[in-house]
Amino acid sequence: MQSTPISLLSRDRVSGLIFLLVCLIYGYQATQIQLFPGDEYEAFTARTLPYLLTAAGIVMSLLLIVMSPATNCNEIACQQQGADESRLDWRLLISFVVLMAAYGLGLTWLGFVLATSLFLLGGFWLLGERRKSVLIGASFPFVTVFWLLLTKVLDIYLEPGYLFLSL
Amino acid sequence: MLDGILAGLSTAIMPTNLMMVMVGCFVGTFIGMLPGLGPISAIALMIPITYGLDPSSGMILMAGVYYGAIFGGSTSSILINAPGCSSTVVTAFDGYPLAKKGQAGKALALAAYSSFTGGTLSAIMLLIAAPALAKVSLSFQSSDYFALMLVGLSAVAAFAGKGQVLKAWMMTILGLMLSTVGIDKGIGVERFTFGLTDLMDGFSFLLLAMATFALGEILFSILKPEPDTSEDESKALSDIGSMKVTKEEIKEVAPVAVRSSFLGFFVGVLPGAGATIAAFLSYGLERNLAPKEKRSEFGKGSIRGLVAPEAANNAASSGSFVPLLTLGIPGSGTTAIMLGALISYGIQPGPRLFVDNPEIFWSVIISMYFGNLVLMILNLPLIPYISKLLAVPRTVLLPMIIFFSITGVYLVSFNTVDVFIMILVAVIAIFLRLATFPLAPLLLGFILGGLMEENLRRSLMISDGELSFLWERPITLTFTVISALVLIAPVLLTAFNRRRAAKKAAFVDSCD
Repeated sequence: MQSTPISLLSRDRVSGLIFLLVCLIYGYQATQIQLFPGDEYEAFTARTLPYLLTAAGIVMSLLLIVMSPATNCNEIACQQQGADESRLDWRLLISFVVLMAAYGLGLTWLGFVLATSLFLLGGFWLLGERRKSVLIGASFPFVTVFWLLLTKVLDIYLEPGYLFLSL
Repeated sequence: MLDGILAGLSTAIMPTNLMMVMVGCFVGTFIGMLPGLGPISAIALMIPITYGLDPSSGMILMAGVYYGAIFGGSTSSILINAPGCSSTVVTAFDGYPLAKKGQAGKALALAAYSSFTGGTLSAIMLLIAAPALAKVSLSFQSSDYFALMLVGLSAVAAFAGKGQVLKAWMMTILGLMLSTVGIDKGIGVERFTFGLTDLMDGFSFLLLAMATFALGEILFSILKPEPDTSEDESKALSDIGSMKVTKEEIKEVAPVAVRSSFLGFFVGVLPGAGATIAAFLSYGLERNLAPKEKRSEFGKGSIRGLVAPEAANNAASSGSFVPLLTLGIPGSGTTAIMLGALISYGIQPGPRLFVDNPEIFWSVIISMYFGNLVLMILNLPLIPYISKLLAVPRTVLLPMIIFFSITGVYLVSFNTVDVFIMILVAVIAIFLRLATFPLAPLLLGFILGGLMEENLRRSLMISDGELSFLWERPITLTFTVISALVLIAPVLLTAFNRRRAAKKAAFVDSCD
């Protein structure tokens, strides 16, 4: 009879390990917090809560590592989980993250109107919208109206992009 | 107290605030109808808008959005079996079968009437309970507050669900850790800033709330695309049938609505329990109380099964405001966001709110009642028209919501670094969701972190570094014992269940 392969690194255990690492780094950084002379006699310093949290975090992550069961990859649940994961559209998510980061940069360089319009246009496109009327109509005019509302009605100053300032 | 109520009433009936309730209910209903977006996301999206308003108007808008989102969630539960939030999952058990029988209009009307009953009764209970509790809590000292916060945090973790308690605790600790970033307010030294000036003030509450609950939710729906139900929903809404409810039906469900409202309110008051547990409990209770012939209808379109969770989840939503307004302890993720917003306005919720800002305290309570009225009078007839808005395709809607989330943060700080931090936090939130870590405790820990540290500092200094402050005062001792019980309850329950299962197995073996 074939034995079922058991992976000791279940998702919960990996999460526990990552959290443990975070706690250790946090704890180390807590030791770097500046103390004033005489603080060693104080009941409470800037390091007290971080130390308590580090200890609690380490205990919790160890409990998660120890208490979570190992993954048996032949179980139906694992197949279901695998099927669920195969449906995750990572490429689309990464595209959106890149688009948002570009939008962040664009706000500085291109200014609010241009950066936002291009962001919306890109977002519609990534999600599969191909109608030109929607791509253009729901981005540039909408952002222009929104910009007018912010600057003229609500009197919010929006800095022009660096590119336009340097012209 | 009467002066306070009158001040609150005059604030609540100001035209601007009445408009806030209406806009809040309308926007909340729309967002709540969108699958995957619940009250937390709806309120998170509203925070930047409320920054330009005075605190009363801001809170009134958010309360309206809260109620609207729950109502919107019920609508999508009934019509297309797609609950917008967890508290309306139970509504779908009987609401959807009713809609399938061609009685969607009746189901929606019953949901609105029972929500109204729940809202009305809970508003009355809130009117009585909140000032009484606020008066008691005026005698609280720092040690009591510290112990109370422990109760709040442990309760939220305990109610996180099966197998989630440990993860909820880890998220609470992570939230507390994030709250320590920046300049320590007590001593004035930098902590975990890595020399970056952008981190000197710590993480912004707005950024964290928007990144985890608004941007994070939308990015998650991009990662895990659900079928676009907007067309189905829009179609279902265009023909909902008659909204008439007969006298016999009202007679049958009236006691159900009253019982569920009381149960919902008391469950809502408990920190961490919230509307979802209230809805499940009331559904279970009514099924047990129903006569035999009616019990078999549950799950197949029972009007009792629809009314019970609807009245309970609405009453619980009001109940969750009791600990928020009187003790400054949020009982749920939604009220945690509201607490953060109040702190951002420079207002510290707690017993002093009742004394120092009675107009805010009472106007929020009174506006909640107005919110229920608006939902019933205005939103119910407007549902077929809201369907027109739902016809906006997801390909357009999702980038728009992302834009509003990012702009909401950017327009407050005008700092593009915040946009990058927000994206990073949203991506981390996605991984946490994939690993089934609940995110509400993270926000709760983050919001309560500063207050908790301040009270712990004071308590330890007063007691000269001794932990005896935890049991010296009766109030502190009570809270300490409650939090310890809440903390060990899941462990005891697991052990009890295992023992019961082992006994059962032994009994089965002996039968064999």
